[in-house]
Amino acid sequence: MSVVLLLFLLIPLAGIAMAMRVRRGAALFWLSLAVVLLDDLCLLVGMSDLPVCLPITTAGGWFYLDALSGWHLLVMLLVFTASSLFALVYFRADLASDRLSIATARRYNQLWLGSLWTMTLTLLANNIGLMWVGMEATTLVTAFLVSIYPKPAAIEAMWKYLIICSVGIAFAFVGTLLVAAALPSGGAGSQQLFWTQLMTTGGYNHLLLKAAFLFSLVGFGTKAGLAPTHTWLPDAHSQAPGPVSAMFSGFMLNAALYCIMRHGAIVNHALGSDMFTGRLYIFFGLMSIVVSAAFILHQRDIKRLLAYHSVEHLGIITLGLGLGPAGCFAALLHTVNHSLCKSLSFFAAGRLGQLYGSHDMDRIRGALRNAPLWGIALVGSLLALIGVAPFSIFISEYLLVKAAIDRQAIAVIVIFLVGSGVIFVSALGHLIPMAWGEGQMLSKKHCSVSAVIVVTVLLSLLLFLGLFLPVPIRNFLDQAAFLTGGVQ
Amino acid sequence: MLTLMSLLLFLLVLTNLTLLGSSRLAFCIRTVAVQGVVLGCIPLIGLHPFTLQHGLLSLSAVVLKGGVFPWLLLRSLRVARVKREVEPFIGFSVSLSIGFFVLIGSVVFASRLPLAGHHNHLIIALAIFTMVTGLLLLISRRKALSMVLGYLVLENGIYCLGAAVADHIPMVVEFGVLLDVWVAVFGMGIAMYQINREFDHTDVDRLTELRG
Repeated sequence: MSVVLLLFLLIPLAGIAMAMRVRRGAALFWLSLAVVLLDDLCLLVGMSDLPVCLPITTAGGWFYLDALSGWHLLVMLLVFTASSLFALVYFRADLASDRLSIATARRYNQLWLGSLWTMTLTLLANNIGLMWVGMEATTLVTAFLVSIYPKPAAIEAMWKYLIICSVGIAFAFVGTLLVAAALPSGGAGSQQLFWTQLMTTGGYNHLLLKAAFLFSLVGFGTKAGLAPTHTWLPDAHSQAPGPVSAMFSGFMLNAALYCIMRHGAIVNHALGSDMFTGRLYIFFGLMSIVVSAAFILHQRDIKRLLAYHSVEHLGIITLGLGLGPAGCFAALLHTVNHSLCKSLSFFAAGRLGQLYGSHDMDRIRGALRNAPLWGIALVGSLLALIGVAPFSIFISEYLLVKAAIDRQAIAVIVIFLVGSGVIFVSALGHLIPMAWGEGQMLSKKHCSVSAVIVVTVLLSLLLFLGLFLPVPIRNFLDQAAFLTGGVQ
Repeated sequence: MLTLMSLLLFLLVLTNLTLLGSSRLAFCIRTVAVQGVVLGCIPLIGLHPFTLQHGLLSLSAVVLKGGVFPWLLLRSLRVARVKREVEPFIGFSVSLSIGFFVLIGSVVFASRLPLAGHHNHLIIALAIFTMVTGLLLLISRRKALSMVLGYLVLENGIYCLGAAVADHIPMVVEFGVLLDVWVAVFGMGIAMYQINREFDHTDVDRLTELRG
């Protein structure tokens, strides 16, 4: 069983090495897809009885998978599978017209698999220092995916992303150091920063631990796109190619939030209550929702619009983390819903942007007539994104409000509902002309099989999870939410 | 031993103040290199009992921060054909005065920290001072290269803090951190090269295409 964990780390590396030998552009994208599918296969075969088989430990305790990281691993593989499939569609024209050279295609795919590897490392690391190393590595690997087409705007976005996130994550390392400093002196040596150890020791210095959490929250929060340090996010998401934006928004932000969850659980465990972390989660969550609402109102670029939606939804997840066990459950369910939905919407925005030759929402008109498949994807995913029933985001937001009512956090509910209300109205205002408006007619393009598969599968998953939550998934989420809470 | 340590700490303060007050970029790169070497030596002297692992770690830190980084940065300086930092947002003399106040503030702050007895308060104070110096460089300068230097100084401060407060960090993690910093500097070097090629300058305050 534990061999599977090592396979998750080895398969992407093997893929990166193999990419050196591949001589055709399209084959490189197929290779990426094959690697991700192999990872999926490992998950299906090796851990078919998820989450019963958890936790798994291997390599002398250095790698570890429990329900919380297992849940995120599942989300990561969903996002990477969909995005790798979509990359075949997205880059096809550029490969044919030589706008994307073989060397660039190879660099893209190696970086793509590299980001899969670094995120896997972040999830599987048992040592919180190693988790930090993985998270910082994601920034370095993904930065050059933003500027794979070296336009001035893309380079500007890449520079901001690299600097802001590197500095942010440096602060998260101060958080990690302070956790180490808060430990009672004398103990199990190099095992001490193991998550499994941290959750069983007592006698922490509470003040240092609280300071540690502040640093981790702000540091990893920069990478997760929480306001007010979200400023790199709209630039990087809007300039990156479609599949990359989808991967950023669909999983990279969640990986950073996952690190915050781990640190929060340690603090909750040491303090014996979730009061301290809860207040901070609620504050940062609400701030992200309000800030993104202000920017969504006046947005012209479709990918920037979606990027601010990411700030909003990561804010919603963070808010949920501050609302006790029921809130954590809602937050983790919201994670998968948002990731599926945001991947689909970035696919649609990326493809429509290619067809119309612009990401300006004033120029994208009548998408449903011009490109039915991507028009449907855009309408469906945006409606899901703003919380229309019966899509699954409605359910997780409903559960979140319910958790807030149970805690009698009236002010929280009011701010949350006003923020999402503003976003609902302004997003609909952007969507309706894009989908149905009168505008230029485009020549009909034929849709490939992979495009149809991606759109149908993602839309039906969003609908399915909205109508029905199977018992195994519910148990899985219960376990993960329990771990996120951290209070025994 | 104590005097050697005092000398190193004195050099650390001196490099920080030099960075805050000078405009010639090549000189700043060399100053950061000296700081890197000084920091690489600090954990070896007095903080921990000497082991082979600590020796290796210090050696790689010294080689990377004192040799590889300055070489990389001096190269990109030549490519970008810039010599000095012009009209930073916060002037050199003002940054220097801020630096002095931060130094005093961090010494006072560190002496009040509720840390167990064996931690060295002076090293913690200087670590905080170094981190704030890095942040000041990051926010107050115009050239892309100054930002990379600011990031490196911030990293140096964190390295120093780690040496002072945390003896639980395993070697694998320490090497992972060094590797990450190395890749970061390498990546930032490539990024500067691309900025220079596309924009024909490396003034980051003039990168203003993306807004709202």
